[in-house]
Amino acid sequence: MSQQVAQRYVGSPIKRSEDPRILMGAGTYVDDVKLPGMVHAAFLRSPFAHATIASIDTSLARKAEGVLLVYTGEELEALLTPGPYGLGLIMSMEKPVFSCLATDKVRLVGDLVAIVVAESRYLAEDATELIDVEYDELPPVATVEQAFDPSNPPIFEDLGSNILVQSEPHAFGDVEGAFSRADHVLRVTISQHRHQNVPMETRGCVASYDPATEHLLMWSANQGVHIHRTTISGRLGMDPEKVRIRTADVGGSFGLKLGGSREDVAVAAASRALGLPVKYIEDRYENLTASGQAREESFDVEAAYTDDGDILGLKVKMVMDAGAYPGLAGALPSMIESMLPSAYKIAALEFQSTVIVTNKATYVAYRGPWAAETFVRERVIDLVAHELGREPFDIRMQNVVTRGEEPTVMITGRSLVGVTVRESLERLGELVDLPGFRLEQEAARAEGRYLGIGMASYIEAAPGPKMPGMPLGREEMRMELAEDGKLIVFTGQMPHGQSHETTIAQVAADEFGVAFEDVQVVFGDSDIVPPGFTGGSRSATMAGGAAIMTARALRAKVLETSSHLLEANVADLRIENGAVSVVGVPASAMTLADVASAVRQPGRLPEGVDGELKVENAYDGGSGGWSGGTHCAIVEVDCETGLVHIERYVVTEDCGKLINPAVVDGQVRGGVAQGIGAVLLERSAYDDRGNYLTATFMDYLMPTTMDIPNIEISHLETVPLDPDVNFRGIGEGGMIVAPPTICNAIEDALAPFGVRIYQQHLPPAKLLELIGVIEPE
Amino acid sequence: MGERLPLRSRPTPTVHSRSSGDQLKSPPFAYVAPTSVEEALTLLAEHGDEAKLLAGGQSLVPLLALRLASPSALIDLSGVPELDYVRRENDHIAIGAMTRERAVERSEVVREFVPLLSVAMPLIGHLAIRNRGTVGGSAAHADPSAEIPAVAIACDAEVVVRSSARGERTITSDDFFQGFFSTALEPDEALIELRFPVVGPGTGVAFEEATRRHGDFAMVGAAAAVRTEGAHIVEARIVVIGVSDKPVRRREAEQALAGAEPTRAAFEEAAALAADSLTPPSDLHGTSTYRRHLVRVLVRRALESAVQHSQEGG
Ligand SMILES: Cc1cc2nc3c(=O)[nH]c(=O)nc-3n(C[C@H](O)[C@H](O)[C@H](O)COP(=O)(O)OP(=O)(O)OC[C@H]3O[C@@H](n4cnc5c(N)ncnc54)[C@H](O)[C@@H]3O)c2cc1C
Repeated sequence: MSQQVAQRYVGSPIKRSEDPRILMGAGTYVDDVKLPGMVHAAFLRSPFAHATIASIDTSLARKAEGVLLVYTGEELEALLTPGPYGLGLIMSMEKPVFSCLATDKVRLVGDLVAIVVAESRYLAEDATELIDVEYDELPPVATVEQAFDPSNPPIFEDLGSNILVQSEPHAFGDVEGAFSRADHVLRVTISQHRHQNVPMETRGCVASYDPATEHLLMWSANQGVHIHRTTISGRLGMDPEKVRIRTADVGGSFGLKLGGSREDVAVAAASRALGLPVKYIEDRYENLTASGQAREESFDVEAAYTDDGDILGLKVKMVMDAGAYPGLAGALPSMIESMLPSAYKIAALEFQSTVIVTNKATYVAYRGPWAAETFVRERVIDLVAHELGREPFDIRMQNVVTRGEEPTVMITGRSLVGVTVRESLERLGELVDLPGFRLEQEAARAEGRYLGIGMASYIEAAPGPKMPGMPLGREEMRMELAEDGKLIVFTGQMPHGQSHETTIAQVAADEFGVAFEDVQVVFGDSDIVPPGFTGGSRSATMAGGAAIMTARALRAKVLETSSHLLEANVADLRIENGAVSVVGVPASAMTLADVASAVRQPGRLPEGVDGELKVENAYDGGSGGWSGGTHCAIVEVDCETGLVHIERYVVTEDCGKLINPAVVDGQVRGGVAQGIGAVLLERSAYDDRGNYLTATFMDYLMPTTMDIPNIEISHLETVPLDPDVNFRGIGEGGMIVAPPTICNAIEDALAPFGVRIYQQHLPPAKLLELIGVIEPE
Repeated sequence: MGERLPLRSRPTPTVHSRSSGDQLKSPPFAYVAPTSVEEALTLLAEHGDEAKLLAGGQSLVPLLALRLASPSALIDLSGVPELDYVRRENDHIAIGAMTRERAVERSEVVREFVPLLSVAMPLIGHLAIRNRGTVGGSAAHADPSAEIPAVAIACDAEVVVRSSARGERTITSDDFFQGFFSTALEPDEALIELRFPVVGPGTGVAFEEATRRHGDFAMVGAAAAVRTEGAHIVEARIVVIGVSDKPVRRREAEQALAGAEPTRAAFEEAAALAADSLTPPSDLHGTSTYRRHLVRVLVRRALESAVQHSQEGG
């Protein structure tokens, strides 16, 4: 039953319900949670990248002022059940197995050595300084070369080496044919540097174990309360029913806060041991050093192309640095492989990958975790264009797929249904006067000013196209009509900046027939919300669809029930403006509050009629689909200082039907800012002994509002694929495609110097080295 | 700077300096809030070198949080109003140690008589930092990339310091700034005042910086004050920051400009001289070679805009 619903809220840039409390400082972040009798945890962390713990003496710390508990790794491990932490849980990774705190040895600077709980965080930190640890240093494994060197000890003994996964080359299409038909082969090594999530709110939790009921209540910042609960109950050996995870406001995550961390488990165990609430808030040093980092890959690429600019095939060898305590990284190569051809008619691909472990922070999910494929491909397209002396825009137009024409499937097997990258390029061509820019660029060069334009395109599985044997998952939702007539929505989504309280309410209000203000979205409590998590650009389709399906089911139930109260035919009833009425008889209207209270009174409904105005439903993603688009940057490079100024940034994108354009624009802008940061500012730097060099904001440079240009955004008309649900996620796209966009623009600006860019990170000194103004050191 | 924490593991020379301090909460300290200079100096004498004066806290508080400084007591000068002033005294402008950077930035007197200080102020961090940060704090902290010490050196400013035991002494900027975070201040002395000579007519000034982001400490900065008469440069002063353990005056370059015509060639020659013989430090934000190159670029740009400024009437 697909019924036309009047849309009052969907599509409108309605103000976010979250904002009043957040902007007035009245939000509830983990650190705002204060429980009676609460005490505080601090961790002693490793100063070495790789060392065995020869001895550890906590006697002084135990006696220090205000100290309630000190655990070494071994002491804590005796209280736990071994198993995965963080993303390792979802990845069902078997090896390596590791402990909560380090027991035998430390594996990165910032590794967890001991936990101290004291009456205040200050006292806990003072006591960590009294723990005497003797380390015997081991050769650090901090680079790819060191990881491949068999004379270095394995970081994790059960892996036997420092190679986590190594695949055989996978061939798709006629690779040899493509390369033999090619007029040219481009051979380059392209790399992404390590950078990281850096949410404004660091990780943290408050664990509160009640010895009387043997229940654990844990407040934490996370992306999904149930995943979190599985880790906590699993490692603590507790019945999941006795663990309740609660989460209110989350100050960003970008993939970092998925799954219970080692710190979370240690804090929960400490609370259980003490029978007291224990708080731990990661500080910025810990966050930058040890919470997790992302994106360290290098690609040897061969690209086969013709004189005419057709890109025939790619051969790619990837090495990814998973850091220590790997979780996600092992799962990424297959995603990168399958996404590499993207929306282009690239008919052949050979892909081989190796994932190594090193003595660095764990490689975690970061907004578009597979984004390396976009960087590599969009760089290669520009490089090919430069080799041929062609406009990169034209090479894109020539190679991009056309809707309704072959190929409709990537050579790696992923359907391209509904992909509108071609349309986004066309739109960009209308918004940016490319020939005009080339004239301006030439005039500027004559004055010694170096302007450049760059573009890049991407697609984002949001949630991905429906394909046989590849279900999109199941998004559960529950709705009920409260006694006051308000619609209560229970979702497993765990918003951490995505505005679900607003967007889910918009969808549900339209479908159910109530005012936006009369919808309340409940999230973040494992005792009451259905399973789920927020990540992977899935929620627009999955939660949007679940909201439609569940509101529809509840509406049917309310109408059915009301038909008894109003003594009318269900088919003649409707819900509008918060009231049920017989079509054409406005006087018959009964408000939803009246309905909700009537069904609660005995005798108002006939025997056997279910008066519980509650439904549970689930959505399978319908036809699914892609988001995608093209970004364009115009930059000026100061060739005397190497500093880059972004003059203009234009986005054309298609995420289907917009639930809330203001929210979509916010997601795009945030992602672009992170992408600009990655290229110009952000790098998680280590020396070759695994010492972490960027542990404060003096060294790890985040872009500020002063560094981000105005971002112009143009939304494309969607291609409806599904009778009901055509919202698609947009969370990751900005971050995925901004880095190649900026790099392409910089390379274009520096064309007079013949500069070619193979590395994503371009600080000013690096640019002057590429130009040849200064010598590299 | 405070002493570094003893590392309780077996120390090795390869350990990165921050790797040992995994906390961001300060160690314990006593806090005292005097209301007069006299009282502050008495407290300072009592506590000796275990104590630190607290001005705007914009440098000291981060050091405490990182446990890179662990004083036993903080003597807070915020409640000492007598150190907050900007006034003209004869041929110099006197600025009290507790004058906020933002107040200096907005001061008409400073704009008119110490224009180089005026143009330097907006380059210090962000507004919120300048609302708290003080002139005395910046000078006493002596960060080699800070603007106020550079201006003091460029202008031949004098630094007035005082202790309860030995009273007051006046030190030239050249002698006051001794190196990386180090000054001529004795442990029992407080910085009281900076004295900037009033500039002569026809002087143009400029402060050019390369920063990775708006508001960051400069990778390299160049301050220039150029006095022109007719078609000639009479006197030029050039100081660069971010290249050594303290701001450095580039006297050879200054001499090359004295009497010269203000042409691009003259500026380039002076800029090359200014960059010559420097061996700046390398760090994550830029190599030594890059910084030396920046000196050349920024000195030239500073000279160009200083001369333009002087020709527009100073
Ligand atoms: C994000 C950020 C960016 C910044 N960017 C810049 C920049 O670009 N350029 C720049 O120059 N600065 C910058 N600063 C530093 C800022 O200018 C500081 O305010 C200044 O360096 C110190 O001044 P304060 O009043 O805060 O001193 P405090 O931090 O209170 O003290 C600094 C030191 O001086 C000592 N001290 C203070 N007053 C006296 C006194 N009267 N006598 C003797 N000793 C004293 C203290 O004991 C301490 O050792 C930045 C700071 C931040 C946080």
